Amino acid sequence: MSALAKFGKQPWLWAWVGAIAVWAATAAYTGGTGSGQVMSAALTFGAFFVIVALGQMFVITLGPGNVDLSVPACMTLAGTVAMKSMDGSGAMLPLGLLLALAIGLSVGAINYSLIRLLRIPPIIATLSSSFIYQSAAIWWNRGLRVKPPTELAEFTTAKIAGIPVIALCVVVLAAIGHVVLTRTLYGRGVIAIGQNPRAAHLAGVKVERIRAATYMLSATLAGLCGYLLAGFSGGAALNMGEEYLLSSIAVVVIGGTSVAGGYANVPGLWGAALFLFLLVTMLNTMGAGAGVRLVLTGLIIIGVIVAASGGKRTT
Amino acid sequence: MTNSTRTSLLATVAVLAALAGQSALADTSGKRIALSNNYAGNSWRQAMLRSWEKVTGAAVADGTVAAADAFTTAENQVTEQAAQIQNLILQGYDAIVLNAASPEGLNGAVKEACDAGVTVVSFDGIVTEPCAWRIAVDFKQMGKDEVLYLAERLDGGNLLEIRGLAGVFVDDAISAGIHEGVAETGKFEIAGSVHGNWAQDVSQKAVAGILPSLPDIVGVVTQGGDGYGTAQAFAASGREMPIIVMGNRHDELTWWKEQKDANGYETMSVSIAPGVSTLAFWVAQQILDGADVPKDLTVPFLRIDQDTLDESLANTEPGGVANVEYSLEDAQEVIKAAGM
Repeated sequence: MSALAKFGKQPWLWAWVGAIAVWAATAAYTGGTGSGQVMSAALTFGAFFVIVALGQMFVITLGPGNVDLSVPACMTLAGTVAMKSMDGSGAMLPLGLLLALAIGLSVGAINYSLIRLLRIPPIIATLSSSFIYQSAAIWWNRGLRVKPPTELAEFTTAKIAGIPVIALCVVVLAAIGHVVLTRTLYGRGVIAIGQNPRAAHLAGVKVERIRAATYMLSATLAGLCGYLLAGFSGGAALNMGEEYLLSSIAVVVIGGTSVAGGYANVPGLWGAALFLFLLVTMLNTMGAGAGVRLVLTGLIIIGVIVAASGGKRTT
Repeated sequence: MTNSTRTSLLATVAVLAALAGQSALADTSGKRIALSNNYAGNSWRQAMLRSWEKVTGAAVADGTVAAADAFTTAENQVTEQAAQIQNLILQGYDAIVLNAASPEGLNGAVKEACDAGVTVVSFDGIVTEPCAWRIAVDFKQMGKDEVLYLAERLDGGNLLEIRGLAGVFVDDAISAGIHEGVAETGKFEIAGSVHGNWAQDVSQKAVAGILPSLPDIVGVVTQGGDGYGTAQAFAASGREMPIIVMGNRHDELTWWKEQKDANGYETMSVSIAPGVSTLAFWVAQQILDGADVPKDLTVPFLRIDQDTLDESLANTEPGGVANVEYSLEDAQEVIKAAGM
């Protein structure tokens, strides 16, 4: 097989093709004005998608039935608690970050305990526990929007040569995720479990330990995203995570990761995150009504997934 | 003073006080009112519940009604709320104040309540069942008022419209009012329209996406909960800040105040006070009291202008929504206005 043909079979390729096509279509429609700024905005908002999708990808790769539906509630809880604890003080920045990560870690641990100890299917376990997290967030600050420290707001909105700093950081984070997935015992274990948990167990993979780590990783990344998003959008709000439930799953799937588990890739996450943002932007720019927009979004996503799953999968 | 005179004096005072209390509100002192609420997951609903607690707590304490308990469903589901209403009927409440998950979906349960002799007063999320009272918001007028305000301030130009959640009637109503206002004033053009879902982060994202492709924007018409996110997106784009109509949220008012102090930024803010739940409470109390109340009432807007900003902001708790709690007299006024 030639190198080019092999490249054409990469499962993440279609998300990128989709993103670039949609961006070009938007640029063509507006005659090129502002397409650089559109890309810059896409990089910023895509970064938030990628953070949660990275965790969701590992969970989904564990195999059928594995999904983390507590992402939005975890983001909200981590974001609100961190913002309230810092109370706008820059000196408290590291503490807030640690708090957000610790909340994510605990959320993941609780999710996994429900799944493992009480034998509740992951979908039910993470969905029902998310009510508890959401209620905890409501109880904690009753919907208050506490402003983030200026330093955090500046960091999340900063740009170097037009490229958002947060996007650069998340590219690095994604690269680490890629190495973890493809080069470490843990990452190979996740893929092995997704392909056949019994075979993985017989081959000496510590199945339950890896599942526990995966759910904790997913929730911790959600906590991190909640922290950064609260900094970016001027404070945590009770409904800040709502969008990220379906988006986190959509980004994973459009990015070429198998819904059935066992096959995953990181580059597709970025492609899919940009694609989703640019798609909505394109339809907004063209003035499509809400109905048309939702129908087209659905159709285009189906199209990309069908195209992406056409080729044989490789990890 | 002897012990016996003191006792008789105290007794007289007590009787007088009881009489004074009774003369206006004697008929409802044994009545129990329940709040059936479909959702509590945003700051507006949180403020709504707090206002309810505050006003009805006082009403229960001074014996106006016997109980005023609030119940919120977890899932914002019609079936769940219908079951909740049935439970409230069984528990023997005299009136149910209802913020409904659906205008039609609960009609069956509401009819059951009416048939059981329970007074149903719906507000904000109203129900169409004819036996219930409706305290509705004229959302269309709200949208139109925004454009009329911009028309006073500006000579014309391009507007950006931030819409709410697609498919919800409130979004359609406000937007219809905005478009009607644009057509009537005849000097604006809506250059772009995005759905912000009444959430600051969603609005910020949507505006940041569409902004680069838009011409100069002179004003932004919003639906509430989206003004701050919009302002953030404009600030990040480096464009000149347009007049963004705000929606009474604390973050929006705070931002407006900062801009006002820094560069004299002027705008207005309009929304519905979450305290409308207390208006519904008093209307229910009046109905139980035997007052003649028309079935359809209209909620007054809570509008904040440049000169009332400081005061309104000071009275708005951080993270909340500008609020007013309604009194019995306010309710009687609204009832009178609807009767005319």
